[in-house]
Amino acid sequence: MSLQLLFDALALGGIYAIAALGIALIFGVMRLVNFAHGQFIACAVFALIVPSTDALAVLGLGALPAPVLVPLILMIGAGLAVLAEALVFRPMRNASPVALMVGSFALGVALQNLLLVLYGGRPKAVSLWAELGQPVQVGSASVPLLQLIVIAAVVVILAALAIMLRKSRLGLEMRAAAEDFTMARMLGVRSNRVISGAFALSGALAAVVALVLVAQTGVADVRMGGQIMLVAFIATVVGGMGSLSGAVAAGLGIGAASALLQAGLPAEARPFRDAFLYGGVILVLLFRPQGLFAPVGAKPRV
Amino acid sequence: MAKLGIFDLAVRYGKLTAIADLSFTVTEGERVFISGPNGAGKSSLLSAIAGAVRAAHGRIEMDGEILSGLGAEAIARRGLSMVPEGRRIFAGLTVLENLTVGTGMRRDRGAVADDLETVFTAFPILRERARASAGALSGGQQQMLAIARALMTNPKVMLVDEPSLGLAPKVVDEVYDRLCQLQGLRGLTLVIVEQSSARAARVGGRMLLMRGGRIVADGDATEFAARDLLTEAYFGGAA
Repeated sequence: MSLQLLFDALALGGIYAIAALGIALIFGVMRLVNFAHGQFIACAVFALIVPSTDALAVLGLGALPAPVLVPLILMIGAGLAVLAEALVFRPMRNASPVALMVGSFALGVALQNLLLVLYGGRPKAVSLWAELGQPVQVGSASVPLLQLIVIAAVVVILAALAIMLRKSRLGLEMRAAAEDFTMARMLGVRSNRVISGAFALSGALAAVVALVLVAQTGVADVRMGGQIMLVAFIATVVGGMGSLSGAVAAGLGIGAASALLQAGLPAEARPFRDAFLYGGVILVLLFRPQGLFAPVGAKPRV
Repeated sequence: MAKLGIFDLAVRYGKLTAIADLSFTVTEGERVFISGPNGAGKSSLLSAIAGAVRAAHGRIEMDGEILSGLGAEAIARRGLSMVPEGRRIFAGLTVLENLTVGTGMRRDRGAVADDLETVFTAFPILRERARASAGALSGGQQQMLAIARALMTNPKVMLVDEPSLGLAPKVVDEVYDRLCQLQGLRGLTLVIVEQSSARAARVGGRMLLMRGGRIVADGDATEFAARDLLTEAYFGGAA
């Protein structure tokens, strides 16, 4: 395998892993598949530019220097998710998982339409960190600087999240709540704190995906969260619903498989790359319907 | 004043009545066993007191403060702790992490370390296995962990649901001895679901006999064991 291909696989898989984590975190604590996650990503994308329905995008926040911009967009993503939880999902706290899922669809549609009103429906060209597109020589491969940054950022984020979940009080409470929420509450764990925490992390991860998508594609599109949300959702199912490491592994796997198929398939079969990819997903689910890493809490209690 | 008071409590699951107009009080430091056949409503009673199940009507008080209507986390924060049926330990967490989950609400940070020492002294196996995954413990060890985890919240009242379930007789005796020892040490008020009047009588205490969601008898555990009132309850003689 060429070095170039390895970088492609890691960068794509890393982004899928980050998106899948955003879904798995929320599913873990409240058994909600948040279908509005794609719109969280889109909202974070559009937060970069000044609201207008013109075809030409004017960078607003996006023009800030990166050390200011990145934390700011992460906070906007986290804030949006926390707000959505408080306004939409908290009143539905005791509703069935199906009702919650429908609620998340409704939230997603509402957010998408809000973006349509503010920004119009046409995709806009956005030039964020254009200088990162220049190639860097790594061994035999010539890799865009952005790709290296994405891979490094994914590693840092995964490590930080793992440490946070292992070492912090909120992390401990989130892991306990993911296994048995009622038991955690009977030990005095505040459900609002744990759920808000999960949404904040999920929203920040959505913002990371947004930044990478814009920098990679140079486009802001109201629909842009949908495709990656679909892949991320599939990754959480393949990884085992509620398993964080499963979501990461499956996200990486799907991204890597996608990059490999793109490079390895004969040219006439390449348009059907996704059919091969999802065929593989179906095969995995046929043999392990509970996912590759079914979490402890999902097992029936004896 | 009663430490724990249950007044006209009713619990229903849809049309099914689990508990009907049940009342009793528990004084501070008392040990109360709740016995009765399967389906008598014992676990529903404990779940309702702990706030895990919502009561259809009735009132639950601790130290004169009304608990009914509060959520499980608010009740835990007022000093009522639960060792639930089936233990419900966090299998993916380590033993030490299990013990730490319930200490987040405590303001007496210094006393947390002392309490950890207390439960480690009572259950030395937990100290030995502190870094191990809780799911790898044996049934008896998991029961000890569930009791220790509840104690780490520094409760005034502790509810224990069938600690003997699925354990070997020797282990059951050990669990009960440690539990009663910790009760004396901490001045705890204990409410324990226990099917066997003989096991209750061994450590002593008051016993309530439930049947069909009501209390049908209230007396000393040793008397229950002697008269074997339980047998009558199972076969329909008592009520």
